[in-house]
Amino acid sequence: MPTRKAIEGEKPAEHAASAVRYEAATKRYSGSGAPAVDDLTLEAPAGEICVLVGPSGCGKTTAMRMVNRTVEMTSGDILIGERSVRDRNAAQLRREIGYVIQQIGLFPHRTISQNIGAVPQLLGWDKERARARSAELLALIGLDPELGDRYPAQLSGGQQQRVGVARALAADPLVMLMDEPFGAIDPINRERLQNEFLRLQAEIRKTVLFVTHDIDEAIKMGDRIAVMREGGKVAQYATPAELLMDPADEFVEDFVGSDRALKRLALMRVSDIDLWEAPIAHIGQASGEVRAKLDGAEVAYPLLVDSERRPLGWLSERDLEGANVPAQPDSPLGPVLDRDDVVRDALADILQAGAQYAAVTDRDGRIDGVLSVEIISEFLGSPAAKVEEYGAAERPLSGETVDD
Amino acid sequence: MTSWLLEALPLAEVEIRERTSDTLPCQANSESFFCFDWAKDNLDKYETPTLQHLKLVLLAVLIGFAIAFTLAVVAHRRRWLQPPLLAATGVLYTIPSVAFFFLLLPFTGRGVDTAVIALTAFNLQIIYRNTTVGLANVPAAVKDAARGMGQTDRQVLWRVELPLAMPEIIAGLRIATVSTVAIASLATLAGGGGLGRPIFQFGIDFKTNVLIAGGIMIAMALVFDWLLIIGQRMLTPWERAAPA
Repeated sequence: MPTRKAIEGEKPAEHAASAVRYEAATKRYSGSGAPAVDDLTLEAPAGEICVLVGPSGCGKTTAMRMVNRTVEMTSGDILIGERSVRDRNAAQLRREIGYVIQQIGLFPHRTISQNIGAVPQLLGWDKERARARSAELLALIGLDPELGDRYPAQLSGGQQQRVGVARALAADPLVMLMDEPFGAIDPINRERLQNEFLRLQAEIRKTVLFVTHDIDEAIKMGDRIAVMREGGKVAQYATPAELLMDPADEFVEDFVGSDRALKRLALMRVSDIDLWEAPIAHIGQASGEVRAKLDGAEVAYPLLVDSERRPLGWLSERDLEGANVPAQPDSPLGPVLDRDDVVRDALADILQAGAQYAAVTDRDGRIDGVLSVEIISEFLGSPAAKVEEYGAAERPLSGETVDD
Repeated sequence: MTSWLLEALPLAEVEIRERTSDTLPCQANSESFFCFDWAKDNLDKYETPTLQHLKLVLLAVLIGFAIAFTLAVVAHRRRWLQPPLLAATGVLYTIPSVAFFFLLLPFTGRGVDTAVIALTAFNLQIIYRNTTVGLANVPAAVKDAARGMGQTDRQVLWRVELPLAMPEIIAGLRIATVSTVAIASLATLAGGGGLGRPIFQFGIDFKTNVLIAGGIMIAMALVFDWLLIIGQRMLTPWERAAPA
């Protein structure tokens, strides 16, 4: 079938993405003295999520809208790839830029498939190809293909926002603009949608400009974060870890919050930290051997493991009074952490159990080391803390357990 | 006093004098409610007026829609036009149709044209206002999304705003059509024919006559209304989609 061939032949590269470069971009509304966006210069690298975050009225949405020229800048320039947005016909420019807004703005009078196919239709794709693309995107966002024939009012809010994202992706845009896309969704579904989008981003690698007023969302979603302050100025442009470890000034420090150390821990896995070695004891081993291991060890008590090196419990002084290590340890094992756990969740588990440290196991449940409150606090104070960094799409997803 | 006014004043009298002279027993008897014998013999005399009435209504509504819709669409992008247009159509709406017939006489004389112009003028406000309200009610987020994805202003208007304004536009057409069916009964005073003609001709105090003419008008109004409802249902399938 020739049409089929044409579809495959014209299929766009899934990884098309361009950097977005603001060059002294300024927006001044007539009649108001202070600019809404003041001399903004920053680069959102291709394939990364760049979050614009700040209090209301800081100009973040205006800054985003200047990219697709739904707000025209007063001076300066914005380049997508190497091309200035000023040189483009506004409507044509917008067809290359995905656009997702908080209120979603699906067309109530068009079916879900037609909504997703809206930009392809503007670009003159034939019906067959647009339909195939809609089906492909429905699958990508995990919606039942049958929903394609429904109208937006027949979908839940979360489903509608997924469709909003799919519609923005339909023509494989070079850049995505997302204006508080999950702002109107309830907290549980918001978390789910954020996680889904990060998984999607790991596949599609778009350049995303993401606007939010929520610093937690910014830290979670951003490869880079531009913290903006009133008057349309960037207070700091940095990776989440830099922002949390090293806020540029008091404004940023206040904005990221006093719990920034904890927020930092949400960005890492247990495996990112050097653990203490556990003094290991086997059932029936001579007590003297075990005592020797405790010399100079960071953990005061030996950890009893089975023949597969799976932890059984902590041995007390009394357990070691006999000649050999008993099969039943005196103290319970307490929390057991996984190497892939988010450090913040691991810390919560330790504190919840009223402990100072806990055993960490690998995927097979074998002992890997010991994580303590002390290690975490030392880590946060060390320069290494700033170096450890994941892109947003590779980061552990907080709010999800690893074993699912 | 100018000559046209002298000519216009006795209009109604002229109509009433045209009344038929042959009277049936029950026509003379004002006690009887409905005169079936007379109705059977004279029903065919309502055929031409009915067709005229239909023509008046269709012309007035279609021309009124064409003008009012165009004005609403033009004023949609030029907001400053909206207050004067609302005022202008409002004035036309409030002028009683009979008065309008007289005002038009020196220009268009007696006939269908005069009647259609007056009826059309009456319609403008209803259709204009409903179209404007319909366009204004389109959610801002939907328009923002449409523009943001690269629709031109024209595409936003024709693909998004007008389809979404359809329920209000058709609501306006329904009011306009039903009102016009009623008011077109006065067209005969302007010499435009219609079902007002037999009413005056056979006697406004002859119940059988008034009931037949009135019944035809009510049926006509109901059929138009029903057609428009069917039309709206076909044009706005999303309105009936069962919610999740």
